[in-house]
Formats: sequence, structure tokens, C-alpha cells
Amino acid sequence: MSRTISIDPVTRIEGHARISLQLADSGAVEDAKFHLTQFRGFEKFCEGRPYREMPALTARTCGICPVSHLLASNKACDDLLAVTIPPTAEKLRRLMNLAQLLQSHALSFFHLSSPDLLLGWDSDPAKRNIFGVMAKDPELAKQGIKLRQIGQTIIEMLGGKKIHPTWVVPGGVNEPLDSDKREAMLNMLPEALTIAKDTYALFKTMVPTFKDEAEHFGTMQTMFLSLVSPKGQLEHYDGFLRLKDAQGRIVEDRVPPSDYPRIVGEAVEDFSYMKFPYYKPMGYPNGIYRVGPLARLNNAESCGTPFADVALAEFHMLQEDSGPVRSSFHYHYARLVEIIFAIEMMQRLLKDTGILDTRVRAHARGNRDEGIGVSEAPRGTLMHHYKIDEAGLITWVDLIIATGHNNLAMNRSIKQVADAYVDGNKLSEGMLNRVEAVIRCYDPCLSCASHAFGQMPLSIELKDASGTVIDRLVRDA
Amino acid sequence: MSATVPQRDEHSHSTAGGPTPDAEGTATVHPSSTTRPLRALVIGYGSPIRGDDALGPLVADQLETRVSADPELSAQVDVQARHILTAELVDDLARAERVIFIDAAANLPPGEVSRQRLAPDASALSTMAHFHDPRELLAWCQALYQRVPETWLVSAGGADWGYACYALSETAQTAVAPMIAEVLSLIGAEPDIPDTGP
Repeated sequence: MSRTISIDPVTRIEGHARISLQLADSGAVEDAKFHLTQFRGFEKFCEGRPYREMPALTARTCGICPVSHLLASNKACDDLLAVTIPPTAEKLRRLMNLAQLLQSHALSFFHLSSPDLLLGWDSDPAKRNIFGVMAKDPELAKQGIKLRQIGQTIIEMLGGKKIHPTWVVPGGVNEPLDSDKREAMLNMLPEALTIAKDTYALFKTMVPTFKDEAEHFGTMQTMFLSLVSPKGQLEHYDGFLRLKDAQGRIVEDRVPPSDYPRIVGEAVEDFSYMKFPYYKPMGYPNGIYRVGPLARLNNAESCGTPFADVALAEFHMLQEDSGPVRSSFHYHYARLVEIIFAIEMMQRLLKDTGILDTRVRAHARGNRDEGIGVSEAPRGTLMHHYKIDEAGLITWVDLIIATGHNNLAMNRSIKQVADAYVDGNKLSEGMLNRVEAVIRCYDPCLSCASHAFGQMPLSIELKDASGTVIDRLVRDA
Repeated sequence: MSATVPQRDEHSHSTAGGPTPDAEGTATVHPSSTTRPLRALVIGYGSPIRGDDALGPLVADQLETRVSADPELSAQVDVQARHILTAELVDDLARAERVIFIDAAANLPPGEVSRQRLAPDASALSTMAHFHDPRELLAWCQALYQRVPETWLVSAGGADWGYACYALSETAQTAVAPMIAEVLSLIGAEPDIPDTGP
């Protein structure tokens, strides 16, 4: 079987992904690969920089989730400082992380996935985009804009700007929250909660119509990795790592984030610049796991907020047996549950009397030569790990991002979709779109690149057993 | 040779929806203003760390200073400096009678300032979700709110787009004053900055 595929220059451009399918002699799909052909090199070019620059540098990894990198990076820097940040600083960081979750999930559901969900996978590709959604259900599109606006506005109120805020700093945050801003944020959230609950109710009615996709979109047996709180509840900022297997048995629990290197290894394949993290004790590739909203909800015993807990119970009913929800299609459902949770938890944080406390930063110099920060980004567990020299300059960096954790699972999912929908030796547009859609379930952030509207620039190659390309579909944006 | 420009504050300078600096430099919030109609909305956009691409937000920063000094103007005009154009801006666009985008251009001679009308264009669909073409946002506006503000793009040719470059080229700097004058003219304010453009 040939895995050597010439890389088209088009796919080197940020935002391009490629999928290759390998056929057996019988015509059945033998292998499927998801190729990420861009290289950015953050881990390398950060070497030699002062550690205090890392939050600003690594936030540039992404235009969608800079807040996530900012938080994980500052947590790694807190570890380098060897400080416990003030409680109010932690609450404020949590607030920003939840606002980030809100705006990012809203973007994924309302703008990226709704064309498939609302218009159908086999609908006219010329209309299967955000404008098609606006034509069919303008209110839904407006609600998506409103949710994203609220999340972004809260980030801006806290951090001073929506993209790449610099308010979170090693040791805490650099400015406390004032009562006017708190009031303004609280005033926005009831509308957000109404939209979130309405959308959740709407999507619940739609789920049965996606039975076929739910059965074939990444229903493989994998483990699930995420942070959970010390009480085992849904957690996005701190806590412990938990790993459950496909049957719902806890494989690892109460793993301190600093101990992640014991359980997470990274493999490299020659067909992609994205690494393949795996659960070390099971080796590669058997140690496959998923992260993100699906994993977080599968691992959490409860959310800890009223409406989200009701939704979590309904989420668990998506799986007919008593195990975790295994279909990657249900990432969409999990995102909506998390949007509800994020809004409810932001309300709780903002109503906390301590949220206006002015002690929000611990000051220290570098007191350790190694620091690890782990948080939950919208797409899953995000790990920043730095080593510094005596001058405080970075000597080594390891970034394990959410999309990377899901790399093995995305490849398996493509294979499953191809098995189900590729018939014989000819590709169809419907198949192409389902392959794209299964990728989108994970909401991958290929350096922000796969956040594509409607049609992601995508190239699919169909090869026979000898490795000869027998069909190719290329779709530019 | 690039000339150093004053280090800009990357904060947004919305006088409408978001936090705005008061006289003491403390951010204040005007929650009710997010729904008020605007005579004009000015959005300068571009990367602050890619050399001349910073023209848009830099010009917006300077315009904000000019607008905020005039109570009558600041009540009707919202100036925003943005890294990129994002979807939620549609809500702001829909509230404005006139919108002026400010951007650097790679297809203009360096330093040359251009003013052009923009119309909605659904085919200007972005492949990325984290930034949009202004014409696409206008098309969103049309589709969702059945109205499109009168929209202009004021742009100037850039010369240097280097990575991690925090300064405008000398050529691009010459475009700042004429761009400000152009925008002030479009929002009906008296230009008070000498025209030093090419």
C-alpha cells in the first residue's frame, strides 16, 4: 500500500486539508488519511524567547481560540513562577475561558455546521453555505451572531479587545473587574441563555433525522480524555485529567495536569504535520482517545448548573447502552450543552461577591525551570509545557493542542464514513460532503484553517490497490 | 527604511457597544448603546504586527481621538480598530447609516489613497470563519436585516508587509493624514489635519 502522496501546492496554503482514500483490489476502501500539510513551527521558534512573552506569542497560534492559548500559557508561566494566583484572578480567568467557549461553539454550530444540519448533506452545494442558512432560517443565523457577539463582548470587556487580549498575565490578570462591567455582562446573559435553550430544544427535535449520520460519523471505540473538577464535574480551567474507555470505565483519574507526560505520548506520521497523541500505556495507535465537548460530557458526572445538568442527562440518553456517547456526530449536541453551561456558569461567577476583589495578581520571578499549564479549549484539552534556563529564556516547548489529540480519531472517522458512503470506484458530491462534515464534527482548528464556511477547500483522492490515483475531486473554496 | 510610529494601544475604541476609556483612562461601559442607531460606523482593520497592514487600525486610533474630542460627533459616530473583520460586526453594520472601512491595500501603489463604494457580494465568501471580507459582511447584513448601509472603503497602498514588523514604512506613513481627511469628509466632519498625502 502506498502512503506516498505528492502534495499539491494548493494544499500547502493555510486552510487546506487533504484526504486520501486507498482502495483494495475489491474496490472497498482499505485506508483513509487526513493530511495536514501546513507547518508553523511554534514550538521551535519560541526557543530563546523570555518566558513572559509566551502567552502573547502562543496566542498567535489561533484567531478563533487565542484565549485558550493565553490561559494555558499563563498557567504554564504560573507554574514557572511557582505561585498560586489570587482566587479572584482564577474566577476572572474562568469567566474569560467560558466567554471564549461560548463564542467558539456558537461559531461552530451556527455558522459552520448549520448548513449541513439545516439544509442537508445532499443539498445543492452552491447553496449549502451560511447564505443558504440565512435564507432558510434568518432568525437562527441572527441568534448565532448574537451569541457570538455576547461571548466576544465579554472577552473584550475583560481583556480590552476581542482578538488577542493581553489581560491575562503570569500570576493572574492585570486589572480587576469593575461593577459597571459586571452589570453590563450580567445584563447580556439572560438573552444568551434564552437563545441557547431555544437552539438546544430545536436541535433535539432534529437529532432523530440524522440517525444514519449518527451511526456512521465516528462511532468507533475510543477512550475520552478531559479535565474534570475534583468532584468529577464538568471543568474547563483546572482540576484533574480523567480518561474513560469506550465502555465508560475510568482508566485514569485524578491525574494532575503536571503528570500529563506519563499518560500522553505523541507519534509522528509521514503524511501529516500534525502529531498523533495517544495514551502511552496502551501504545500507538491503540491508545486512541477523543477530546473536546463529547469527551468532557462523557467524563463529567454532572455539570453543576441547572439547565446544563438536565441537558447532560438527555445527552447521555443518545447512547442506547449505558456507555459513553460514542458517535462523533454528537459533538454538535455536546456543544449546545456546553453553551448552556457556559452561560449559567458565567452568571454564577459574576454574581459571586468576590469577583470584584482588587487583588488579582501574584508577582514573582521564575522560580522553577519547568512549567506546565493545562486547560480545556473549546475543542478539547490544551497543554502547554515549557522549560527555561537561569535567565528565564525558553529552552524547550511542547504544545499539545485539542485538534492534535483528535487526530487519530479524525482519521478513523474518515475511514468509517468512507466505508459507509463510498460505493465502488466513483466519488460523489454527497460523499465528499459527508467526509467534510465528519471532520467538522470535531471543529478542528488546523491553525484556524479548517474553520471554513460552507465549502472547505478540499481535495479527495481515490487510489487503487497499487496506489494509482483513479479519481480525484478537488474543490476550491 | 521603516519609520517608527508611536506604539499603538491595541484596544478597541468603540464609542458605542464596548468599554471605552473615560477621562481617567478607566474603561466604562455603555450597555444600552449597543442598540442605538449610528450616523456612521468607522472600522479600521489589519494586523498590528505586519508592517503597513496596520494602516487601518492606526488610522482608526487617530480618528477615535479626533471623534471622542467632539461630543456631538462621538454621539453619532462609532470608531473601531480591529485586527480582523468578524461575523458579529454585522449587528453593528445594520445599525449604521454609513459605514467606512479603512484598510491597507496590496494592489495600490505604495502610499496612494483610494476611496471606493462597496456593495454586498455574497461570492466574497471567506473560507475561514475568523475573518471576513467587508462585502461579505454587507451581504450578511442584506440577507438578515434587509438593509445595507452606504459603505465606503478608504484604503492606501502599503510597501512593507513584514512579519513581526511593528512600524509603518515611510511611504505608508504619508498616507495616514489623507486617509483621516478622507474619512472625516465621509462622516461629515471638518478635516483639521493638514493634507500631506501624495
